[in-house]
Amino acid sequence: MAFDVTDIALSILKIAIVLSAVLSVTPIWVWVERRGSALIQDRLGPNRVGPFGLIQPLADALKFLLKEDIIPTQAHKWLYTLAPAFGLLPALTTIAVVPWGRSFVIPQMQIAGYTLFAGGRLFEPIVADLNVGILVIFALASLSVYGVTIAGWSSSNKYSMFGAIRASAQMISYELSLALAAVSALLAAGSLRLTDVVWMQTGYFVLFDTIKIPAWNIFSPAMWLSAIIFTVSGFAETNRLPFDFAEADAELVAGYHTEYSSMKFALFFMAEYMAMGTMAAVIVTLFLGGWDIPYYNEPASFLGFVLSALAFVAKVTVMLFVFVWVRWTIPRLKYDILMRLGWKVFLPLAVLNIVLVALFIGKGWI
Amino acid sequence: MIPTQWFLILSAILFSIGVCGVLTRRNGITIFMSIELMVNAVNLTFLAYARQFNQLHGLIFVFFIMAIAAAEAAVGLAIFISLFHHRETIDVDEANLMHW
Amino acid sequence: MFEYLIFFVFAAIAIIFALVVVLHRNAVVGALSLVVSFFSLAVMYVLLDAPFLAALQVIVYAGAIMVLFLFVIMLLNLQHVQEANTRPVQKFLGYTSAAAFLITIVYYILKYAAFTAPASPFRADAHQIGVSLFEAYVFPFEMVSILLLAAIVGAMLLSNRSIDTSESISTEVMEQPDGESGAEVTR
Repeated sequence: MAFDVTDIALSILKIAIVLSAVLSVTPIWVWVERRGSALIQDRLGPNRVGPFGLIQPLADALKFLLKEDIIPTQAHKWLYTLAPAFGLLPALTTIAVVPWGRSFVIPQMQIAGYTLFAGGRLFEPIVADLNVGILVIFALASLSVYGVTIAGWSSSNKYSMFGAIRASAQMISYELSLALAAVSALLAAGSLRLTDVVWMQTGYFVLFDTIKIPAWNIFSPAMWLSAIIFTVSGFAETNRLPFDFAEADAELVAGYHTEYSSMKFALFFMAEYMAMGTMAAVIVTLFLGGWDIPYYNEPASFLGFVLSALAFVAKVTVMLFVFVWVRWTIPRLKYDILMRLGWKVFLPLAVLNIVLVALFIGKGWI
Repeated sequence: MIPTQWFLILSAILFSIGVCGVLTRRNGITIFMSIELMVNAVNLTFLAYARQFNQLHGLIFVFFIMAIAAAEAAVGLAIFISLFHHRETIDVDEANLMHW
Repeated sequence: MFEYLIFFVFAAIAIIFALVVVLHRNAVVGALSLVVSFFSLAVMYVLLDAPFLAALQVIVYAGAIMVLFLFVIMLLNLQHVQEANTRPVQKFLGYTSAAAFLITIVYYILKYAAFTAPASPFRADAHQIGVSLFEAYVFPFEMVSILLLAAIVGAMLLSNRSIDTSESISTEVMEQPDGESGAEVTR
């Protein structure tokens, strides 16, 4: 594993790009969420701070910073303080294994007599191209249960505790259908590496020898079902509204973060939006073709990289808007219905879908 | 490349800590956690030898150990819940009857 | 060079948090320390060129088994239960025998397990493990799945004390999906 200064510099550059993208999801999407909900509910939404209320997230952040930080006397101090960090960690790190553009060869450059990028170095727009990429996503997602559980337990508040238990039971249950739905996409790609999954989706299906459809997994007759299962389980996994039992405010005050205030609460808030962004990116990668632009063959150059990265961002944006749209359209389910849905509908359907995909692969149709 | 011996020593240390927990604690769940620690120490040994001798068998063994540990945790914790419901304690010294 | 640094840092983390598990009186803190310890063991697995098992270690141990432990500790409210003091003689014997075991085994590792560094790079990816599981080890694999099924049934039967009165209690309803998840993830 030989690497030199250029490799390290490129890695740092990639990490900086991804990290700033993930961190900026929160303020942008808080604004979209508030204006979007206003649009859906036929009202104006925040429009005082800046044009169209664009500075509103900044004002919110300022408010979070200036509020008093309260630690309840009965709380377990250490764990109470650590819980937001536990919650934020998986949300920040999961995105590292998601490819966000087409790889390209960096041309050799001469700057002030120094040769840069000698020998046509390949730039892979992914922080860590692991051969067990998807497993890393599930491993980190399974760790996100701890932030919620510790927060609920350490607050010594029964509503927090109920919220935590509900949220973690829900996350654990839906993790299974999430994983099993992803298995069908992985079966088709024959690899656990997410770059392979995306490359597999860059071709076309040809219908009746004339109509060309992009070979995205969601358009495949075998996999549209698992795309739906994955998306809905993704809503449950990120605790978004049809399934937001973590903070069902009609029943549980505010769920596991009832006792949290100021910046600690803001960290949970950020973690929720970042997890949403990551989930959207994973859905796009597994089922919506990743960075693939339909009906366009991206060249292996800087132009191709920029265009494909933009396509990826556009798809993630659409997916994130679906998250907002669903949140303000569908009311919250009852808890037992949620559990029944997860265990008795999605899990068997996901397993059936794996069998279907295996059949397709066996027959050579994929 | 890190010598295999170091992994073996780390594994031995973790295993001894687990042994210590099992022998000195009386809280049933802590004892159970110490056992999980010992199992993990053994897993580390298996993987160290698998790399040393370039064989897959060690990895497969660890895979099976993980599956069995999951089963063990489910049943063991169910036993502790049952014990707690009947005796209001999970002190292992109190669980001295074969029936209740 | 980096490898050695990572090894020592995470070995230290694993040992320190393992000690916390054994010595700390609060079971919740113990369980969380064990999670950290397992996570640093996953890092060890990566150093041993087994990234697939490292991911499995985090998913199964940290993500499923330890969540189960944490749930049980929290639902039984065990943090308020005062653990009885261990008898001094038991404590003494426990510590000395563990120390004696450690000294002996480290002595023998240093004496007999001095290997030369493995020559060829060892790559154990998911593909090879899968092929091996379904060819050479297909019988143990099926046995393990039957064992997991038995464990699911057993756990439900044991923890559900109202199984014959048809009246269920909320905490036990919570237990059921979790007990299954520990098993299902592994499969």
